[in-house]
Amino acid sequence: MSAELRVTPFFGCMISMKLPQFEAAVRRTVDKLGVELVDLEGFACCPDPLYYKTRDKMTWLILAARNLCVAEDAGLDIVTCCSGCTATLSEARAMLTEDEALCAEVNGKLKAIGREFKGTIQVKHIATLIREEIGLEKVRDSVTHPLTDLKVAIHYGCHLLKPSHIMQVDDPDHPTILEELIRAVGATPLNHEEKLLCCGKACNDPDLPPKMLLEVMRSVNKLDVHCMALICPTCFDSFDFGQIKLKRMFDEEFHIPVVYYFQLLALAQGIAPAEVGLHWHKIKTDNILEVVGAENA
Amino acid sequence: MTEKGLESAEKIRKLVGGSSYSYCYQCGACVGDCPAARHSAEFSPRKIIMMTMLGLEDELLTPDSIIWDCTNCYNCYERCPQDIHPIEVIIALKNLATRRGAVPDSYQRMTKVIHEQAASTSMTPTMERRRKELDLPDLYPPPLHEIRRLLEEV
Ligand code: SF4
Ligand code: SF4
Repeated sequence: MSAELRVTPFFGCMISMKLPQFEAAVRRTVDKLGVELVDLEGFACCPDPLYYKTRDKMTWLILAARNLCVAEDAGLDIVTCCSGCTATLSEARAMLTEDEALCAEVNGKLKAIGREFKGTIQVKHIATLIREEIGLEKVRDSVTHPLTDLKVAIHYGCHLLKPSHIMQVDDPDHPTILEELIRAVGATPLNHEEKLLCCGKACNDPDLPPKMLLEVMRSVNKLDVHCMALICPTCFDSFDFGQIKLKRMFDEEFHIPVVYYFQLLALAQGIAPAEVGLHWHKIKTDNILEVVGAENA
Repeated sequence: MTEKGLESAEKIRKLVGGSSYSYCYQCGACVGDCPAARHSAEFSPRKIIMMTMLGLEDELLTPDSIIWDCTNCYNCYERCPQDIHPIEVIIALKNLATRRGAVPDSYQRMTKVIHEQAASTSMTPTMERRRKELDLPDLYPPPLHEIRRLLEEV
């Protein structure tokens, strides 16, 4: 298929170095949607919006602006695949375009490396790009193996949607984007009560994240679903490995496979499960493969 | 608001960038949907805003302060009827604590990794192997020289 849309992917540290199967899923699936991903040299950590930003917001902004400049110099919009990268790059872009004085200050620093933020490119999470620019019709057309019997609990997490005046993806209290994406692969999306709850990753008190996680897993467990699907590597890590920790901490057992949306899209496009690393998940994904009839090659 | 409170308000307003928390009327809308407050007996964005309004933020600027338990979910930002953006005030407080060196170790570690590697995590042999197995392109070398040069500027 000839590419109709050229963008640069920003996979971020966590996906490229800890969850490369998500990168593979995005690369393989969007190729079938007419998107050309142009890899650029020069990107660094977004930088991380949880620890690094809260430590020193100005340095965070300058380093984020540098990443935006790399894409601007190539004249390509950025697509992010991680909610954290989306938060950092979208917010930095909004701050710099809304505040001239701040932008001038940041550009004063970027001068040292011969760069300048001009505000010429957009930042979009890949899920948003699909719904808004590629269109769900094209997703449906790319599906050769609809996941007809699969029931999926969707989880939004935080930074795809909030702060909503910057992200402008959906109503942050009543989002529909993931439901729409799941329907497009032929599966049935189900909303669990805590679908908007934070995974708790950033809390410093070690007691808090497991309590949030327990709440999410209990909420998912009330539904009759085969798996949980999401679009953020931090949520993934918290929920996949997290279920094993919950067993140790609270003696409550859950076996809910967790997948990145693009891994489901890959299965629906007839891509082999191993090509998107489903066998590396801590919570086994075999039940998904049984339902959709894919061979775990 | 106390005089000390006004002083801190000004300092934090600069860090937060515009939004003023002096109009907080302690309604508690930010607490209702705060996941950290739901699970912690001590944490509350309303309490943090109040202490700051009273000029008592020094008490919050320690490595074991409740400010570090905010999980950055932005619910309070969406909920506050006064557009106080409590999370941004909390971030400003964390920035102030950092200037005093009053930061939890996890933050120090993350910063060190980002400054040394231009990434928030490190590549491992297992992940190298998985990238190969998945037929993914090699990663470009991190732009360390640019990051280092920028860090000299700030
Ligand atoms: S919601 Fe806003 S006005 Fe109400 S207590 Fe929280 S910060 Fe104050
Ligand atoms: S951002 Fe922090 S203070 Fe605000 S609702 Fe979330 S956890 Fe609570």
